Amino acid sequence: MKKGLSIVAGLAACAIATAAVAHHSFSMFDPSREEVVRGTVVQWSFNSPHTLLYIEDESGQNWVFEGNAPPSALGRTPSISGDTFTPGEDVVVIHCPLRDGRNGGGVGLVIDSDGTVYNPSDAGCSANQREAEWPEWVEAGYTSKAEAEEATGTGDSQ
Amino acid sequence: MTLRNTFASLGTAAVLATGAATTALAQGLPDLVPPPRTFANSTEHYQFLLDMYDGGTEHTYETVPTWEGLWEAGPNNVALRGPNSVFFEEGTQPRGLAAGGTIREGVLSEEYHAAFVQRREAMEEFNEQPYDRLTTCEPAGMPRWLLEPYVREWVNTPDQAWWMNDLANDTRRIYIGADAEHVNIEGTHFPNGDSIGFWAGEHLVVHTVDVWPMDYFRGYPPTSNQFEAVEVYHMETLPNGTQRIVMQGTFYDELGLAEPIDVVYTWRRAMQLESVDYRIRHWECESNSQTRLAADGRTTAFAVPGEAEYNDIRGADIRLRAPDLPADLSGQTRDPDAADFSNMSLDAALGGGN
Repeated sequence: MKKGLSIVAGLAACAIATAAVAHHSFSMFDPSREEVVRGTVVQWSFNSPHTLLYIEDESGQNWVFEGNAPPSALGRTPSISGDTFTPGEDVVVIHCPLRDGRNGGGVGLVIDSDGTVYNPSDAGCSANQREAEWPEWVEAGYTSKAEAEEATGTGDSQ
Repeated sequence: MTLRNTFASLGTAAVLATGAATTALAQGLPDLVPPPRTFANSTEHYQFLLDMYDGGTEHTYETVPTWEGLWEAGPNNVALRGPNSVFFEEGTQPRGLAAGGTIREGVLSEEYHAAFVQRREAMEEFNEQPYDRLTTCEPAGMPRWLLEPYVREWVNTPDQAWWMNDLANDTRRIYIGADAEHVNIEGTHFPNGDSIGFWAGEHLVVHTVDVWPMDYFRGYPPTSNQFEAVEVYHMETLPNGTQRIVMQGTFYDELGLAEPIDVVYTWRRAMQLESVDYRIRHWECESNSQTRLAADGRTTAFAVPGEAEYNDIRGADIRLRAPDLPADLSGQTRDPDAADFSNMSLDAALGGGN
């Protein structure tokens, strides 16, 4: 995980923002919370109108995260396509969770096993605005933005 | 009078969007080019232009302007991608889909102004519209088709134009010719209405009627079933070599608008998508979506595997789409590598639980 993290994160932070507007509202996701789920990819559905990333977490629970549309994902840096995430691959997902606590959310960032930071976020989760911070927070073992900001003395609440 | 003489005598700048006006601001929003005078309705407006251009240009397959490639929505004066929306006071258009802004008075009818105020107030809790009619893949329709941020293709022929948006495969068809007339044998309205048009040189003039009540965009005003449009399109190449399509138009809506509004929209060539060989596919929007109206009747819900509402996207279990076939028929996932969520979702959908 450590290999190349900082370099790739830096590159990702320079990504050109591309259109990220869905055909639906994001009122079911809580944009004020950004949380970490570690797991293994079950399926990466690179389909319109939204991409969906399915993972099984370390306790065997299934999760689904909604991302942006394929045309938008292709325009991100690094570019995201249908073979970016493969079944069985270990990933770390930073997401804005469903408000009702079920196992799902709007994806913010995905960090793959070699440390590459991907930004398949739609407008429902702005964790992608913290592409520089999140790899370091994940490396440090923080499991949420609130936890990381409290520990590092950053964020609005400080 | 030939078309060339018509353009020379009348001057396209006064009537149609001109290259000079639109290239001045490079890739920003072109100057709005209003119609030469006001009209009582869209039909009068369209007929005026048709008469002015003497029925327009009869293009052949060799001469018809082609706007090939992939295109995405760009700056406009209506919604989403500013700099200034006609529905908000100058400088107050909220960024993206966010709440806020100061609604401009006198643009919408009294009833639709009140409805827009109500919509904007309902956005404050979530900083966006909590539920969108497109959630379950209703077509964007006109005028929202113009702005949906997915990918478009424009296919122009001498007597028809097919304009496709890959969101829900929403296609506008324009029937072209000096004698083109609106036809409605169904006796009802449609998401994109009925569109006719004529070529005036490199410009395509379009008249659209019989449109469903839609909206300008999420978070923006609704339209009524009286909405009609006159649009003038052309493609231009900017000094830096990039291409864009510009539409200068007028929206009419006797119920929704206080007065007709003049609009300008742009679309930019999606070169990055073309470079990776992106192709418009037929996506089943509804079956690929996990969103729906929430039980509270005002917000959006999201289904996860294991719930009856979850859409198993062309999953292994075929009981819902082909109950006459063996449920375990092999090779029925959408691709050989697709995961099988059927044991989690379809049992629940069929009442078996999981």
